[in-house]
Amino acid sequence: MRPPDFFSKQWADSVRDALAAGPTAQTRAGKLQEYWDFFERIRSTYEASWALGCRDLPPQLSSGPAYLLVQWAGGTVSDCQIIGPDDPPPTSSAHGGLPPPVPPGPSPFKASYVLGMDYRDWKALHEGYDAQRTVMYRKILLEHGDLLEFFKGIYFFVECLAVIGTVPASYPEPPA
Amino acid sequence: MTERKSPTAVLREGPRALSDEQVREIEDSALAEVLRVDIDDVIEYVHKDLKSLPDFTTLYRKYLKQRWDVYDLDFSQDKIDWHEKMTEAERESFIAIASGFHHGERQVEIELPVFMIGASEEEKLHIAAQIEDEARHTVFFDRFYREVVGLKGDSIMDILDASFPWVSETFVAPFGLLAYQADELRRNPYDERARVRYGTNYFLWIEGVLALSVMKVTLSYARWRGFLPAYYTGFTATCRDESRHVQGGMRYLQDAVRKDPAMISEIHDTLRTILSLSGVLSRRVAYQPLGWSDEEVRLLFYQQLRRKLNDVGIDIPPDIEERLQRIKPVLAGG
Repeated sequence: MRPPDFFSKQWADSVRDALAAGPTAQTRAGKLQEYWDFFERIRSTYEASWALGCRDLPPQLSSGPAYLLVQWAGGTVSDCQIIGPDDPPPTSSAHGGLPPPVPPGPSPFKASYVLGMDYRDWKALHEGYDAQRTVMYRKILLEHGDLLEFFKGIYFFVECLAVIGTVPASYPEPPA
Repeated sequence: MTERKSPTAVLREGPRALSDEQVREIEDSALAEVLRVDIDDVIEYVHKDLKSLPDFTTLYRKYLKQRWDVYDLDFSQDKIDWHEKMTEAERESFIAIASGFHHGERQVEIELPVFMIGASEEEKLHIAAQIEDEARHTVFFDRFYREVVGLKGDSIMDILDASFPWVSETFVAPFGLLAYQADELRRNPYDERARVRYGTNYFLWIEGVLALSVMKVTLSYARWRGFLPAYYTGFTATCRDESRHVQGGMRYLQDAVRKDPAMISEIHDTLRTILSLSGVLSRRVAYQPLGWSDEEVRLLFYQQLRRKLNDVGIDIPPDIEERLQRIKPVLAGG
């Protein structure tokens, strides 16, 4: 069966389930328990939200940039949905960083941290590119939000990014 | 490299004064003579000028005298030592530590240029020199991994890819933060608060604590065992370069706080984030084959940070002091 399209509603639902389940036993076995204890401690108290953008979705998937909104509460994902190009772009609810311009029309949704990545890098993550290097090589970037606060949860974020990368999805080739 | 003192011999000695002769030996040795220089003296030398920090032009002039050619190193004896004399346990420990440096050097090379934009003209000279130093250090590790360890690849990135499996998951804390801080400066290079936060991570934590600690672990091992002469020579010369970087970085932070005392809160907030991530490990690394215990490495990290804060005159509040006690080593540097 063909997997759902990247950045579709079905994909976002699968991402929600995968994040709620967390890293696999195989992933956990490769790192020390104290690291996972730290991960669980962050997850159990994490109340922030991420707007994970794809800046250049191919026209087969979207007519413009879109975001995967992941809201954390009570130790799990309380909301996971796609914010499309027809919706107002996200703004950061946290202090710090540059304030994004407020677009006209309906109120934009707020995320604690707004991040952006190009389509090719999302695809590379799905194909197994390392999540730590995705951050370190600035393939995904924090566009809005408090950087020092964001990094207090960086191990949690990187492990979740790796989980998102494993969720099955179709990534069509962008037109040449 | 005839001396055979234990790698941790000076750990509990505390600060000590270097003689004029020792300082001359460190400052004036050409690359071929660096093999004779004691790494403990070089690390002590880093701290020598922290209480009266040199200006950026002086640091630039030192750079011109001390720069070395990474292609002058001959790794043929290191290759024999690595494959025929070192034990499997020694190689595993060594490479687990050195890989953090291999990647760290690359990271500090590419994240530094944006910091130059908002710097004074004199500091720009120093930073330009530092970027060249970091590029040379990246090549040093590239050569070590190709010619000694035996990793294969056509490009520098191929070798980085090949050594990445040894890099700990906690590497992303200082170096991911640095990448994002560099991006913050890219967007607003004259934001002095952002520059101080960046400088705290780069110059105080990554270079002043992580790099010097990791250098000491591998170099004191090489000196103790009498192994890896080209690694010892190149990396001790790297440590001498780092002394200029740390002194320049501490000069920048000290000047920033003197100009605006409110900047101290940016240093504290950055340390809070860094230290909140420094109490956890994702992998166990055996230091014992290199002559160190876990507790001795932890103590080394603590001492490196404490000395710099004291010497530069940066007070820290009790909550940061408490976090300092829980540091666990990130095996990386740059």
